[in-house]
Amino acid sequence: MTIIKSFPLIGVLILYLIAFIMPLIKKNSLVKFLSVISFSTCLILFITCLRYVIYNGSYFYKIGHFDAPYGIEFKIGIIECVIAVLFAFISLMVSWYSCYSIEHDIDERKIPLYYLLINILVGSLLGIVFSNDMFNVYVFIEIGNLASCGIVVVKGKKENIKAGLKYLIMSCLGSGLVLMGIAFLYSMTGHLNMTYIHESLIKSYMNYPQAIIITLGLFTVGLGVKSALFPLHTWLPDAHSSAPTSSSAILSSLVLKAYVIFLLKILYRVMGKEIIFNTPILNILLILGSLGMIMGSILAMFQKDLKRIIAYSSVAQIGYIYFAIGLGTELGVVMCIYHIIGHAVTKSALFLCSGSIIEKTCQKEITNLIGVGKEMPYTLALFFISSLSLVGIPLLPGFVSKWYLAIDSIGVNKLLLIIIILASSLLNAVYYLPISINGFFDEENSGGKIYKSKEKTIKELMPIAILVIAMFYVGINSEGIINLIKTALA
Amino acid sequence: MERLITNYYETASIILFGIGFATLLLHSNLIKKIIGMNIMDTSVMLFLIAKGYIQGNVAPIIVDEFKGVSEYVNPIPTSLMLTGIVVAVSTTALALALTIKMYEKYGTIELNEILEKGDE
Repeated sequence: MTIIKSFPLIGVLILYLIAFIMPLIKKNSLVKFLSVISFSTCLILFITCLRYVIYNGSYFYKIGHFDAPYGIEFKIGIIECVIAVLFAFISLMVSWYSCYSIEHDIDERKIPLYYLLINILVGSLLGIVFSNDMFNVYVFIEIGNLASCGIVVVKGKKENIKAGLKYLIMSCLGSGLVLMGIAFLYSMTGHLNMTYIHESLIKSYMNYPQAIIITLGLFTVGLGVKSALFPLHTWLPDAHSSAPTSSSAILSSLVLKAYVIFLLKILYRVMGKEIIFNTPILNILLILGSLGMIMGSILAMFQKDLKRIIAYSSVAQIGYIYFAIGLGTELGVVMCIYHIIGHAVTKSALFLCSGSIIEKTCQKEITNLIGVGKEMPYTLALFFISSLSLVGIPLLPGFVSKWYLAIDSIGVNKLLLIIIILASSLLNAVYYLPISINGFFDEENSGGKIYKSKEKTIKELMPIAILVIAMFYVGINSEGIINLIKTALA
Repeated sequence: MERLITNYYETASIILFGIGFATLLLHSNLIKKIIGMNIMDTSVMLFLIAKGYIQGNVAPIIVDEFKGVSEYVNPIPTSLMLTGIVVAVSTTALALALTIKMYEKYGTIELNEILEKGDE
């Protein structure tokens, strides 16, 4: 059964290898098929690996038979496998959806290159999640950086190029800071492997009180820029709203999350509780997260463009994730990972729904989308259910994470935080619900619209429907998922 | 002050990092931004390579016989920075290509003029 241990590496390699076959193929339908096949293979491999890890415990995987301090290492645990399954599942659904609609967004000749970039991007994100070596993670971050800029600019319009360049400059800033942080860690410990850095830091951290704070600051700001922590989020709305629909779904639900996972690894695997509790880092994350939860929603209320609203809502949801890290308890970390899962499923469904609405009606502004519920009832219904999750209606993942975050805020005696959670939920309701309500119930203005006239076919709606079903699963089975993550942390 | 002079490599690289960072953030010319990005990357390379250098030791190339571990400088930071250079080159290439596209679409590479023009 040792072959199962290699599955994570095989999954990443399959994505990269298939990516470079794509530009050689002339037929676009074959390229799409290959993309779907590569993601479904990854999904099967990671599910098998998850089962193996649940029964046999986590393990280190050597790459190239060099032992740990010298060679590169993957650490495969339950959390890594859960996140990998999530990434493979979402990218499978998004690439399935894009098979039907990608021609509307980008030039036909660029389609093989587009799928190449998607495969490379998902491969590098999985690499960030699995790798236990700092410099290896840095290289994966840079690959992901270039690929994610690529899938923003692929549309070739004016605003895409502008958003893509803004994104590239901001994320280069971020990766420069991360590299400097890695240089600091290397000069303090002489290791690049996370386990060894931790061992060496625990012995000697008393000698470098300032250097530790500077390193944590470099990593927090660097990864904060890349994952759109509140005051550093300025690139996100442009990039996410102008990109093709399938790119926005992947950018918003996967790319941001991989950097959060890396920050979690820095905090808990490299530094360890003993060190981070001596620094104000968690409180800073808590404050920035709370600000993001409120300000992201407030900024979203003033937007007119449907995709920009969803993009600003991502800023608010990233705020929740950093809020959960900032609580600093075990439940906080668990809820951070649970919210990553819940938000990834919800936000990709929302982006795909809004993409279909914009594609069929050719209207971006929400004021022009009144009465769209009559034309596209199923799409708007799916949109409505997903937005309920972000508002926080029971049974859906958004409610579960808000509930546990509130409980945990009581646990750490910070009752003020509950008000922030409540305010943020109400603000979510303020800008999400009117879209669906005006879409379904505005009888006066929807007189001229014909029932189901612009609806997509069932085949095209299937990926979104499966995402919504997965969302219900994540919400209803929250107990099981939370217990699974808890056993991994213990 | 004493510490800054003895560790002059680190001091220089942090100053360079600051210059690059400020150029990247504050200038509105896109080419200057890219130059700032490169200065920032180069400063990190200087920092790491300086960390690997040990006074009086030779480059880690075995000429006649192996002199023992303590006689060579640390080769790992140097080889890491080889990867760092490749990464920096590819990001610069993408950024320059996008700048050319920007110039084609907007007719200028000053970011504040581009933002004023908007997307009309």
